[in-house]
Amino acid sequence: MTHRFTFLEDVALADTAFQASGDFPSELILAATQAVIETMVNPDTVSPRWHRTIEHQAPDLPSLLFDWLSDIVYLKDAHGVVFHEATAVVTEDRPHGGWNARGHLTGETVDPSRHELRADVKAVTKHLYEVRRDDDHWIARVVLDI
Amino acid sequence: MKLSTSMTLNRITDEVWEIPASEKAGMLVPARIYATEQILSTMDSGVFEQVTNVACLPGIRRYALCMPDGHWGYGFPIGGVAAFDTLDGVISPGGVGYDINCGMRLIRTDLTLADVRPRLEQLMTELFRRVPAGVGSKGFVRLDRRKFEEIMRKGARWCIDQGYGWHEDLSRIEEQGCIPGADPSKVSDRAVERGISQLGTLGSGNHYLEVQVASNDRIFDPQTAAALGITGHDQIVVMVHCGSRGFGHQVASDYLKVFEKAMRRYGIAVKDQQLACAPFRSPEGQDYFAGMNCAANSAFANRQVITHQVREAFSAVFGRPAESLGMNVVYDVAHNIAKVERYAEGELVVHRKGATRAFGPGRPELSDRYREVGQPVICGGSMETGSYLLVGTDQAMRDTFGSTMHGSGRTMSRAQAKRSVRGEQLKQQMAQRGIIVKAVSMSGLAEEAGFAYKNIADVVETVERAGITKKVAELRPIGNIKG
Repeated sequence: MTHRFTFLEDVALADTAFQASGDFPSELILAATQAVIETMVNPDTVSPRWHRTIEHQAPDLPSLLFDWLSDIVYLKDAHGVVFHEATAVVTEDRPHGGWNARGHLTGETVDPSRHELRADVKAVTKHLYEVRRDDDHWIARVVLDI
Repeated sequence: MKLSTSMTLNRITDEVWEIPASEKAGMLVPARIYATEQILSTMDSGVFEQVTNVACLPGIRRYALCMPDGHWGYGFPIGGVAAFDTLDGVISPGGVGYDINCGMRLIRTDLTLADVRPRLEQLMTELFRRVPAGVGSKGFVRLDRRKFEEIMRKGARWCIDQGYGWHEDLSRIEEQGCIPGADPSKVSDRAVERGISQLGTLGSGNHYLEVQVASNDRIFDPQTAAALGITGHDQIVVMVHCGSRGFGHQVASDYLKVFEKAMRRYGIAVKDQQLACAPFRSPEGQDYFAGMNCAANSAFANRQVITHQVREAFSAVFGRPAESLGMNVVYDVAHNIAKVERYAEGELVVHRKGATRAFGPGRPELSDRYREVGQPVICGGSMETGSYLLVGTDQAMRDTFGSTMHGSGRTMSRAQAKRSVRGEQLKQQMAQRGIIVKAVSMSGLAEEAGFAYKNIADVVETVERAGITKKVAELRPIGNIKG
């Protein structure tokens, strides 16, 4: 299983952009999730004390990823948490069309004395937003408003 | 002159450049950029592309404008100003930004540098303790949904009613801290959940709380400065830069989705998805306007609660009530907002995104206190350089829909800034120059290094020479709090 992400420079001068990739949609969503988590905190400094299951359905994979990542930003503020780890399984709903994702997030309430905090993400944006299949890989480009 | 665009730019004056409406298919009006040759040559290509995209939006009047601190943004450039007819024009969340009513507040004191320097470390520690900053921070004010809805409707007035401020503060805030037309039924539960615990918090990124000095040699207009409460003689002032926090961010995100669908219904095509918009008079346009005003009022309340905490911190450190320290608000001004205003063309919905209202003297919207001198304009520089206090002019009313710059504008990516300096190293360098920094995130601190921004003095000089604002004072940092 291979999923990875790289932060992109000079795409969003005042903000943060990244490219995520994976061999399968599940890996893509995990890679993008990890990029969002690491934009906000060093996850190695966060313990898995808070748990949350996330589920989403969407008509297409770009919408599914966008809603999924937006949920992480929402949970950060609504629960006052930063994240340690995520799991995700993405399935295509072939009979009905559309995509489903189900996964799990762990983390804990923000504690600046223990957590290596980074940037507070305001929103996932549609600027230059892209999800595509390139040979055998799924690739996403995402810009986060900081 | 080497530019990052191949578009035609006609020199109107030394500080105003025009891209004609013939430059791009669909442009309804020309685009005008306020910049000197030097600033123009440092602007990224996104500015030219985006300001001309804005010029294509339905109902736009006169010009799509960009201020000299302009740089690439989402849909609209940062530094963008555009006015749309309220009858046949649109409203666009991309013209306001995710941080609705992000803005600046300046608080004066009677203290001098000589009073504060010996206790600066203690003061910054106290401010850092009382004004939460950074990812996931929560404010001290406990709210339920009903109270939060009151804040959406009443803005800073709610805070004064609760004892978080002085009644006279209201006359020193744009719109007296409360924009009418806010409707809490137009914001989502998710928006409420994101913002309900964040009242009185700074956030992160380029947001800050700064202790600054107004020296005699940096006061450019002593008479106006005095009218604003700036007396010089190394006077201490406090500047606050923050907005509507997660609440406003979610309102913007929610309505971008709504507008994407609405555009199909109204047959509107835009050149960039982030320019999603709807007719101002449509149900979607009115819903967003009502929701946006809820977020704008919550931002005024946020800065008001922070002001209360700043007064408490000074009072604790100097052992005197804030009233006896002369801690009046100078002004509070939004730089991410859409407002209905009246100009020669009639009633317009003016979008300012990273741009500040700069109403000239005599405008009825200004409180009695400032009607004679014009509206104070607060422009934040980088944490290493300095910030400016200016006032609006009649020319701004005529040329830029009563608008001007808001800050210095970035020229370097966050990643590049982090590669150039470490947060700890920057903190030490600033301490050696007499600036004490308290930061939640060291990587966030490095991203905000002074060299990542344009020279604010050049930007201010441009709007001064263009006549759309008048310099009053430069304010030099001695202490900074960042998320």
